[in-house]
Amino acid sequence: MPESAWGWLIITYLFLAGAGAGAFISAVACDLLAPDWSRSLARAGSLAAGPLVAIGTACLVLDLEAGLWEPWRQIYLVGNLRSMIAWGVIILSVFIPIAFIYAAALNEITFVGRIAKKYLLHLEIVGSVLAVATAGYTGVLIAVINGVPFWNTSLMPVLFMASAMSTGLAVAMIGAAIIDIRTIKTLSNFALGHVIFLAVEGLVLGLLIFISLTRSAEAAASAQTLISGNLSPYFWSLVVVVGILIPFVLSIVEYYEYGEMPKYLVVGADLLVLVGGMSLRALIIYSGQPPQIV
Amino acid sequence: MHGITRRKFLIGSAAGSASLLAASYVNFDAWASREKIQGEVKVTPTLCDACGNWCAIKVHTRGGRIWKAEGIPLAGNNRGRMCAKGHGFLHEVYNPDRIKSPLKRVGPNKFEPISWEQAYKEIGTKVRAISEKYGPGSLFWVSHPQANVQLTQRFMQALKSPNVFSHGSTCFMPRNIGWWLTVGQAKPSMDFENSRMIVLVGRNPAGGMNLGHLRSMTKGRDRGAKVVVIDPRYSEAASMANQWIRIRPGTDLALMLALANVMISEGIYQKEFVEEFTEGFDEFAEEVKKYTPEWAAEKTDVSKQTIVTLAHELAAAAPRAIIHRGYHGAMGTQYKNSLQLVRAVGCVTGLLGNFNQRGGMFFSPKPKLGALDKDAHPNPPRVPGPMADGTGDMERYPLVPRGQGMTQAIPELAIEGKLKAGFVYHTNPLRTVPNPARVIEGYKKLELLVGFDYVLSETASVCHYILPESFYLERDDVIYTNQSVKTKQVSIRQPTIKPMYDTKPLLEILSGMAEHLGIGQYFNFTLDEMNRASLKPVGVTLEQLRKEGVVDLGHEWKPGPPRFNTPSGKLEFVSSILRDYDLPAVPTWEEPLVSPDPKDPHSFRMIHGKQAYHTHTRTCNQPYLMAITTINDAARVWIHPDRAKALGLKDGECMTISSSVGSGRARCRISEGIHPDCIFVPSAYGVFSRHLTHAKKDGGQGGFGFGISYNDFLPTYFSPVLGHAMVNEIVVKVEKTYA
Amino acid sequence: MPRYGIAIDTTKCIGCHACRVACQNQNDLPVHEEFNRIVERERGVFPSFSKEFVPLQCNHCKDAPCERVCPTGATYTSDEGVVLVNTKTCVGCKYCIEACPYKMRTMDHGKGIVVKCRMCIELVREGGTPACVSTCPTQVRIFGDLDDPTSEISRFIAEHRAQPLRADLNTGPRIYYKRS
Ligand SMILES: Nc1nc2c(c(=O)[nH]1)N[C@H]1C(S)=C(S)[C@@H](COP(=O)(O)OP(=O)(O)OC[C@H]3O[C@@H](n4cnc5c(=O)[nH]c(N)nc54)[C@H](O)[C@@H]3O)O[C@H]1N2
Ligand SMILES: Nc1nc2c(c(=O)[nH]1)N[C@H]1C(S)=C(S)[C@@H](COP(=O)(O)OP(=O)(O)OC[C@H]3O[C@@H](n4cnc5c(=O)[nH]c(N)nc54)[C@H](O)[C@@H]3O)O[C@H]1N2
Ligand code: SF4
Ligand code: SF4
Ligand code: SF4
Ligand code: SF4
Ligand code: SF4
Ligand SMILES: [Mo]
Repeated sequence: MPESAWGWLIITYLFLAGAGAGAFISAVACDLLAPDWSRSLARAGSLAAGPLVAIGTACLVLDLEAGLWEPWRQIYLVGNLRSMIAWGVIILSVFIPIAFIYAAALNEITFVGRIAKKYLLHLEIVGSVLAVATAGYTGVLIAVINGVPFWNTSLMPVLFMASAMSTGLAVAMIGAAIIDIRTIKTLSNFALGHVIFLAVEGLVLGLLIFISLTRSAEAAASAQTLISGNLSPYFWSLVVVVGILIPFVLSIVEYYEYGEMPKYLVVGADLLVLVGGMSLRALIIYSGQPPQIV
Repeated sequence: MHGITRRKFLIGSAAGSASLLAASYVNFDAWASREKIQGEVKVTPTLCDACGNWCAIKVHTRGGRIWKAEGIPLAGNNRGRMCAKGHGFLHEVYNPDRIKSPLKRVGPNKFEPISWEQAYKEIGTKVRAISEKYGPGSLFWVSHPQANVQLTQRFMQALKSPNVFSHGSTCFMPRNIGWWLTVGQAKPSMDFENSRMIVLVGRNPAGGMNLGHLRSMTKGRDRGAKVVVIDPRYSEAASMANQWIRIRPGTDLALMLALANVMISEGIYQKEFVEEFTEGFDEFAEEVKKYTPEWAAEKTDVSKQTIVTLAHELAAAAPRAIIHRGYHGAMGTQYKNSLQLVRAVGCVTGLLGNFNQRGGMFFSPKPKLGALDKDAHPNPPRVPGPMADGTGDMERYPLVPRGQGMTQAIPELAIEGKLKAGFVYHTNPLRTVPNPARVIEGYKKLELLVGFDYVLSETASVCHYILPESFYLERDDVIYTNQSVKTKQVSIRQPTIKPMYDTKPLLEILSGMAEHLGIGQYFNFTLDEMNRASLKPVGVTLEQLRKEGVVDLGHEWKPGPPRFNTPSGKLEFVSSILRDYDLPAVPTWEEPLVSPDPKDPHSFRMIHGKQAYHTHTRTCNQPYLMAITTINDAARVWIHPDRAKALGLKDGECMTISSSVGSGRARCRISEGIHPDCIFVPSAYGVFSRHLTHAKKDGGQGGFGFGISYNDFLPTYFSPVLGHAMVNEIVVKVEKTYA
Repeated sequence: MPRYGIAIDTTKCIGCHACRVACQNQNDLPVHEEFNRIVERERGVFPSFSKEFVPLQCNHCKDAPCERVCPTGATYTSDEGVVLVNTKTCVGCKYCIEACPYKMRTMDHGKGIVVKCRMCIELVREGGTPACVSTCPTQVRIFGDLDDPTSEISRFIAEHRAQPLRADLNTGPRIYYKRS
């Protein structure tokens, strides 16, 4: 049977768009809820969001074949509004500039930033809606495909959303540590976010596998390749252990041991979340199987 | 990069909706306009040459390039259809491995282009010298005979050599001789569409393609005929049949004799037909008394009940019941007992009384073509005497027709020093004749070998000179009549494009050589002149035939009392000719030459067969056709699950196969669709010419080094009466390959 | 307007692949691209062993998921009910390949676009028959107008109660199968 038509470029795109959107939301949350001790995290999240989503989008464009060699064809991309890609293009086209402007505003970069700063709250509200749309849409993109029963469930956007939030937060936290290593102590507050997002992600993933096993033969076959088939080594190690369990435990420790945990473990946990997020998307794409036709 | 992209997206969202409207109206014209881009479409009727069926097709060119083809509905032998090989072989005209000019071998596997003139001159000089030194009987010609055989016969006759060989001894010989002995004609036709029962005995027209047979079998089946396939293997034909009878290989003769036994003992044969149109019934009836269904069940591994039921069903459907006349499988050159088998099938057909009956067998009306004017274009004198292999020698192979001979005898005769120089036309004995080590040794002994091919096949690779005939899409050939099935038809092959390279049609090459051989006077005509002369009596002009490709001359076959061209004028249960030569004159049980050891888990008979998308081994380098092999992993060797288990084999694992003459490795396909006694080798692979590399380009598979061939395991045999190669008389040892 | 479809009788298919190569030539496809394929299925144990060859091609679905997900609208359904790809507007995003439950679309990497069975629409519009239909030696496929109850295909479907493959996927396929 044919393999997935999508490869690493799309997987990377799904990952970066999610992480970028998550980083944006993390930044907004910091800026609004915890303005003082989390400046560096808000700054890092806002600075990362635009580029990540843009690079992800570039991956998407690189994966277009005719659209890459004859770029004018890309104007057709919004030709059919029943298509999630069309909506994705629209969302991204608006979100990417807003994310950049937001970064400029929050960090007061150039005159654009100074002007935009006046509308910071507006940018945060509109941007957050678009970020949620971006993150959720990466899940919806595949969830609407009934050609792959495993993907074809409303759990998919929830899973992608949860993963986008945790990877976005991880990006913001790593960024914050880079901007100002001294703030690393205060980052412990945000470990609670990881605890929650990873818990949700784990639960939804578990539910997805469980439901898939009973839903249809093809969905079950996909789930099976993940839990016991040829993709299972990667699934258990990279997604479950590395991407969810270890960072989950580390985040709990981090939260309760406020500021006491070694720095490399704090950053390490975030890096593991990123590895897990990317692996999750790769494995979901690669485990997708079409219906048995004959 | 992403900046540009972003802008594009922004523009996109604005311009998108507007362009959408425009876009959805452009629809498919990019595909349609391709035609305009690539030029004018031209349609030329001609004959396919991707296999020996020579189906009538219409070739479409676009801007002077071959594009596609379709069958011509009028043609009796393909009725508008075309097979995968036919479609795929069109691409061969652009195969980069093609020979582009005459070549001279200047070292092992090393060739140098030369001019036609030089080739003619050097070949002429050498052939003359050899003929003078060793006599003209040391010269031979071997080909896959088609209509062009008229020309090659003429050429060899002019050279005073009787040695014109065909591939028949590895293909169909017992089938032809068996029917000829029994009903007076080598290839009786079959009215499947009106039949009520169709039985295939070791014939798989769905793999060893015959499009016309498939069409008419389908029609019969649609009208309710029962189709029964008797084969050790669930063949492709079995998948469209009603019943598969899994027979032990090499034992069909026992089954046929038992059918006769049941029909005669129960008195359910067509008595009037037997009375009126057959000869020797009593003797036959006496002989088959001992071949009871119980006895046959033991031999064939087919249950007694199945045998009896088959006899009843055939009898009930008679005379609208047909056993296929056979070709290569079982009734062809596969077994020592194949001749007896064909005779037995002929006799059962006699019991069914189906000859010249609706839904039965019949003799196709064939147009009688004219000939060149003998005064202006004299025929060379007939060469008397037998061929070098004993063909036509009353003491040795009296039944084998001159012009066929035994292709596997050529290397043996070369080793013995009896053949010294030869021409190999449109055939590839190094690959298609058993026991290649021996064949190579023999062909290499020749002082001169001249090949005609379009690529450097295994055989061409050892020739001293290779004369590239223009490809079938580029040349004219002799008028052909094999499209005639129920009516008389004539057809023609003609160029669809100009020759791509410095190549020539056969007649031109022969004329060129003839000049230098001092036999130019026998080749003082053009192909058009010859074809016009052929067409004259049938009242069709060359121009008309060129325009239509196939012309139907009417004279439709009508059921009626049969007339047999045998010595007795009847269907011969007892063959008077066989009796004259002191050979078993009524079909008699005969064991296969060799059989696997039932106690040895490693011992198997090796059987083989065609796949519908390959022709012999010559398509193994054709990318479109090899892609089918790859997708379906179809070069694997079939083995029964129980036997595989005993050998520790899992599906797809590699086996080491060996026989007394060779060994090889192949991956297995474990299937319930094969008799446990045998393994089945698809016969299209095992190409070993280093020059065949095209299929490997673009990461494909095929060509040099791909797969195995049954010939690698098969000793050189000559069957007692016909000298055929007995190509399924192979016992091999099969083992699981460890690393 | 007619509404074209094809009925396929797998009990006659011999897996000869003539349809595959005829289609490749008709549509100028390179070696490794295919618009139709033949799936071989073995069933049972001797003596009740059997084999089926099932020819697959685009089903020209009435509610085609490939068309729904196509962002550019390059995938569209013609007036004759034939699902086609506009080669000028397809960007090659491959979303339609993922979306087709029958996996009957392929990427033409040479042109960077997605291609698929086109029901030989040019031939059909000239009054011809699709290449895979006319070349088949056992007449497995019947092409015709599903809206005309007197057409050969409609009668065949009615007589044999031919069904689409996996009708439960609810895409409204226009290729019908008789499988026993
Ligand atoms: N695709 C394709 N078609 C061709 C050709 C080609 O090269 N390719 N070549 C043409 C030529 S030259 C020929 S001769 C014909 C050959 O056409 P066929 O005579 O049909 O030849 P095969 O496919 O070799 O064998 C037919 C069947 O015989 C079975 N068989 C083997 N041993 C036995 C046995 O002991 N008993 C019985 N009952 N069956 C047995 C095999 O399993 C196989 O299914 O095809 C012609 N058509
Ligand atoms: N391994 C193997 N051996 C076999 C068989 C098999 O299937 N596999 N089948 C057996 C049977 S049934 C038969 S009939 C014989 C057939 O035996 P061959 O006649 O030897 O078989 P082909 O492979 O058809 O060989 C045809 C040769 O003609 C060349 N050729 C193709 N087109 C042209 C052309 O236009 N002009 C010229 N001059 N040459 C051309 C091809 O390149 C090839 O070298 O083989 C028998 N032996
Ligand atoms: S059977 Fe196929 S390959 Fe042979 S002549 Fe006919 S179309 Fe050509
Ligand atoms: S079969 Fe697939 S490609 Fe064809 S119309 Fe249906 S969804 Fe589209
Ligand atoms: S690849 Fe082309 S046809 Fe398929 S969804 Fe994308 S734009 Fe549409
Ligand atoms: S209808 Fe035409 S395009 Fe579709 S599979 Fe058949 S030959 Fe190919
Ligand atoms: S051409 Fe006909 S018989 Fe051959 S594989 Fe295709 S559908 Fe089946
Ligand atoms: Mo043959």
